[in-house]
Amino acid sequence: MAEQEKLTPHSTASGAVSRRNFLGALAAAGAVAAFEQLAANPQAVLAAYEEQIVQGTLGQGRSSADLKALDVLERMRLELLRALQKPASERRWVMVIDLRKCIGCHACTIGCVAENKLPPGVVYRPVIEEEFGTYPNVARRFIPRPCMQCENPPCVPVCPVNATYTNAEGIVEMDYERCIGCRYCLTACPYSARVSDFGFTYTEELPVIQGLLGTATADDYERAPNFEYGKQYARQGRASPVGNARKCHFCQHRILEGVLPACVTTCIGRATFFGDANDPESLVAELIARPNVLRLREELGTEPRVYYLK
Amino acid sequence: MAQVVSEQKRPAAGFRLTDLIWILGVVALLIGATGMLDRLRFGLAPAAIGSYVPWGLWVSFYDYLVWLEVGSLLLFSGLVYLAHNESLAKIKPLVLFTGFVVLLMALILVAMDLGHFERFWHVYVYADFDSMITWMVWLHTAYLILLAAELFLALRGTGKGLLKVLGIVSLPLGLMLILVSGSIFGVVAARPLWNTSNLPLMFFISALASGASLLLLLVTVFWADKQSEEYTRLTQRLAQIAGWLMLGGTFIAGVLAFTILYQGGGNPQRAAALQLILAGPFWWSFWIVHIGLGVIVPVVIYFVFYKNRWLLMLGAALSVITFVAVTLNIVIPVLVTPELEGLAEAYQHQKLSLDYVPNLNEWLVVTFVFGFGALLYGLGLRFLPVLPKRAQE
Repeated sequence: MAEQEKLTPHSTASGAVSRRNFLGALAAAGAVAAFEQLAANPQAVLAAYEEQIVQGTLGQGRSSADLKALDVLERMRLELLRALQKPASERRWVMVIDLRKCIGCHACTIGCVAENKLPPGVVYRPVIEEEFGTYPNVARRFIPRPCMQCENPPCVPVCPVNATYTNAEGIVEMDYERCIGCRYCLTACPYSARVSDFGFTYTEELPVIQGLLGTATADDYERAPNFEYGKQYARQGRASPVGNARKCHFCQHRILEGVLPACVTTCIGRATFFGDANDPESLVAELIARPNVLRLREELGTEPRVYYLK
Repeated sequence: MAQVVSEQKRPAAGFRLTDLIWILGVVALLIGATGMLDRLRFGLAPAAIGSYVPWGLWVSFYDYLVWLEVGSLLLFSGLVYLAHNESLAKIKPLVLFTGFVVLLMALILVAMDLGHFERFWHVYVYADFDSMITWMVWLHTAYLILLAAELFLALRGTGKGLLKVLGIVSLPLGLMLILVSGSIFGVVAARPLWNTSNLPLMFFISALASGASLLLLLVTVFWADKQSEEYTRLTQRLAQIAGWLMLGGTFIAGVLAFTILYQGGGNPQRAAALQLILAGPFWWSFWIVHIGLGVIVPVVIYFVFYKNRWLLMLGAALSVITFVAVTLNIVIPVLVTPELEGLAEAYQHQKLSLDYVPNLNEWLVVTFVFGFGALLYGLGLRFLPVLPKRAQE
């Protein structure tokens, strides 16, 4: 009760508490209580949390109104866990990017690079900076550009060896071991969302300086395997993925573990949303039903699964 | 008999030229070797191509070589087996051997363009026939086998019936091959200037035009008796065919260009790519190299100065050499036209740039492949019975 009293700002000016604010207050109160529990016995709380994930009971019992009161990241994570309870073919992952919220910090780009251990020259999610208008009415806009995970992906049929395909959840995947590196898919993608790995490394030509962290440590880091497509790809010589086409995969390896894509969690403006559009209660389903939603180059009929809010 | 022996001992027509060809080949191999070694050692990193301009010099040269190879063989088979041109039939081994060498050069060059060329066999094992590249590889393989069989029979001088059958089979096969090579670009909806049903047809006309000039060049260089009436008739006919094909192709391309450029043609990206060809930094490669040296000069020679043997050879050589400007202008300007404005500036790296100019490594690899081709060609001309004999032999 003491916590509830602290949350009076949620009340309306007249003193009456709206249903929405009341539920929000309840959720926040729960969050505070959970935090206190966490501080007292972190291992027990985390163990219980993981158990809920394993059992698939996390988030159960909370109404959609409860979820809406949470931070969007927490809400999306719970919705993600809920979606994972369904068969893969019933999920439809989409990403929504709110252009008004994006501040062009490029944290998502770097988060993606770190998560997937991308070498120089390989980027899955650049942020395009656009300046438009005429002085004095000038504005800037930032457009993050992940892979659009098109429903009709032009990059798939052009592959001569079936090395790229749409999986059951609608994510366009790569089979690095099969890809011959012809780069036909790069030319076919209308969003330039595919890149080729030319085998560069950050540390290759760096001098070794004694007493500092050193090239060797950095080198070890960049040669550590990533976990794309649920496999481990250590960076060794000319082995795949060097020589292959590469692309954003919505951090599928994280999704399947119940973790949101790296670009979503690193977005400091909460401008990137992710979830199952087949779940009518999900945040993304809500967002893509808005009238200010758009998709890039829709005239090509690719049916992108990345939506932008203008 | 003594006369025949002396004829055989006497250096065959083009003897010195064949030596020059293979010696030049060795020189080119040596010059290009450093580039080739870099390519094998460091993959595609040393090349100027990147992720936003994924195809460049090598793919352009590949298409150019395919035009020459398939175009010359299609025209040859058509004239010999359908139009029954007996004169042209006399250089059958030479034409087949030339096509075979050019085909090998094309395949080596395109293999160098693969990120994992050691996996080329995947196209046979994991083939997806929705892809134009699959069709290209399978048809090219079939064509290589067919051409090798034709060449084998022609060099042995046996199996004339079978040779004729193979020659006729090569017609639809070659036609499919050239249309598929155009469709590789034509089906890419993301690139508006490529994405037209006209492109495969333009490939067909261009292949025939360049192939006709190659046949003319072979005849003007290697025909044994250049004083004969047969030579004059043949060269004039080939010159007319090449000339009309070039004029026809240029006319159609001009009409298409007009519709694309008129008020932007409803597609600014397509118009921008075409503007880049016509008025971009490499405008000279289109107007001077292709239109000037590759079309106007040869066409004037073909229709006006066709009686001058040396000019005819010059015209044919110019046309054959400069056709590479066409494939370069088909491949590169479209790819350097941005799909999303500002993307190339969003994340900085040399491989994420829209600025593409072929670099030394790419030219050296091309030099190496041409050196290989010249060496093989020169030695083949020297030691295989491919050159036409004099009429009296």
